[in-house]
Amino acid sequence: MNASTVSVGRKASDLPKHVLIWLVLGLELLPFYMMIQISLKNNKMFFENTWLPALPKDWVWQNYAEALQIILPFVSNSVVVSVTSTAGVLFSALLGAYFFARYKMPGGNVLWAAFLLLMLLPGVANIVTLFALLQSFNLLNTLWALIILGISGGQVFCIYVLRNFIEDLPKDLFEAAEMDGASHFKQLWHVVIPMSGPIIGTLAILQFLGSWNDFLMPLVVLRDPELFTIGVGLIYLDGEYVKQWGRVMAAFFIASLPLIIIFVFTMKLFVRGLSSGALKG
Amino acid sequence: MALPISQKKALLEWKLYLFVVPSVLLIAVFAYYPTISAIYHSFFRWGGGDAKEFIGLKNFSDILADRVFWSSFITIGILVIANVFKMVPSIFLAVLIHRLKSDRWQYWYRVILVLPMIVPSLVTLFIWKFFFDPNLGVLNAALDQSGFKTLLVQMDQVFGWGVFFEGVPTAWLGEPALIIPALIIWGFPWVGAVGVLIFLAGLQSIGTEVYEAADLDGVTPFQKFLHIEFPLIMTQVRLMLVLLIIGTLQGYGLQFLLLGENGGAGGRGMVPGLWMFNRAFIAGEFGYACALGLFLFVFILGLTWINNKFVRVEK
Repeated sequence: MNASTVSVGRKASDLPKHVLIWLVLGLELLPFYMMIQISLKNNKMFFENTWLPALPKDWVWQNYAEALQIILPFVSNSVVVSVTSTAGVLFSALLGAYFFARYKMPGGNVLWAAFLLLMLLPGVANIVTLFALLQSFNLLNTLWALIILGISGGQVFCIYVLRNFIEDLPKDLFEAAEMDGASHFKQLWHVVIPMSGPIIGTLAILQFLGSWNDFLMPLVVLRDPELFTIGVGLIYLDGEYVKQWGRVMAAFFIASLPLIIIFVFTMKLFVRGLSSGALKG
Repeated sequence: MALPISQKKALLEWKLYLFVVPSVLLIAVFAYYPTISAIYHSFFRWGGGDAKEFIGLKNFSDILADRVFWSSFITIGILVIANVFKMVPSIFLAVLIHRLKSDRWQYWYRVILVLPMIVPSLVTLFIWKFFFDPNLGVLNAALDQSGFKTLLVQMDQVFGWGVFFEGVPTAWLGEPALIIPALIIWGFPWVGAVGVLIFLAGLQSIGTEVYEAADLDGVTPFQKFLHIEFPLIMTQVRLMLVLLIIGTLQGYGLQFLLLGENGGAGGRGMVPGLWMFNRAFIAGEFGYACALGLFLFVFILGLTWINNKFVRVEK
């Protein structure tokens, strides 16, 4: 934006807009503010003072120590499931997308239609029969069940986005690699992957988020408390420790921590990936 | 576009087919098979194991007589309509951010906007469940301290709702008449980060000269929205609308977490998906649950078809 565009008509102050935006964003962030400030109070402090954070000298760090003990196993199970299924989705979707994007192979159109159809088909009827299927594979009460479902569930969307992306890459790159005698796998590894960092990153975050937030499937699949992922773990906590709010909120905060860490490292990429309309599809 | 390839060359490149095998296997086993299996089992009395009994269309005729299922459809209908209105704050915020002069602020607001996304939506829901708590809940505290409670009590006396009383904590998730309002209120002010960012992406195509021309003509901010901004994000709005409606119709995680598997007091928060879940995993009527799922499936498929036919979303 150059100086002349700002000068004429749009001189009116932006202040009212900023105020409105802060108001909306403030309300939107209120639950997280409450989570953090309550997580450092005990129940007595919370009853006496609902809204304002406690003084730093009164902070009850014990909440975190106790919450950590309860929730750490759930977090580590979730990390295993989310990381593995995200890696699995991206690996198989990259291969699949490469197949569709590189050449119009005979039969490719039929397969593509089979993928697209799944985008239209609502998945609502599946949970019941998926349960029976996992039962027959002896996968109930295992983390593998969640990993495999995570990988298969992410296929369609990731392949769709990646195919469009790979098709837009300059064709000469592939041709040059082919001249050098690179196999398709090498072309994927040395041509596609280095160029698709932002898109792979965005898909990875979305996949990870989806896996981290899932609780219906884990609830149905998992029986042993040692295997609980964060989703089931929090439901279980919600039932058991209703009284100590500080501890519950601390557990919530710890459950969000891995995502916060990822976000800090990928913020720029993520905001750009979503804003550029990469996922407009 | 993918390059065309001759039959002969395709034969030489047969290895390429190996690339798509994992994906095809996965969707065949974990997406197509369960769907077909659900269609098949909807004609059976089935408890999820090996034993099953063919009962023809009995499950479907049971659906027609299933009061809970039909009232759950009304509930979800109300929630769908409410969710459509809940898109307004996202559009409003996107337009506000877009109209800012400073690119830097635009960027930072986007970052702040994405912040809630890093808190698992599950956690957000639990925090709201805590907000709704009658005795400790922050919602009641906010209403009491701001004086809105008095207003609600007065309105209650006028309209005879029978739910708000002075000095009595409001049980948002315990009072049947308040369950649907609670399901609508949660998440206030209903700003969806993904929605706002997608709208912003649409708004980016508006050049500054359009605004300058509008300013010279003395166009009011609201007219600008109506005639410049809204038409440009129409595609995105439609896309979000479709995703939202389908998502709401299918979803039941929200109701499950806030109210439990029975849809809360009086079953007022029961939605079709939750009823399916309930029949399968609580009542053990897997066959009937398949039929319920299938019914929903066809209903949503019909909506998708209507949408593709009449509401064109340009790519």
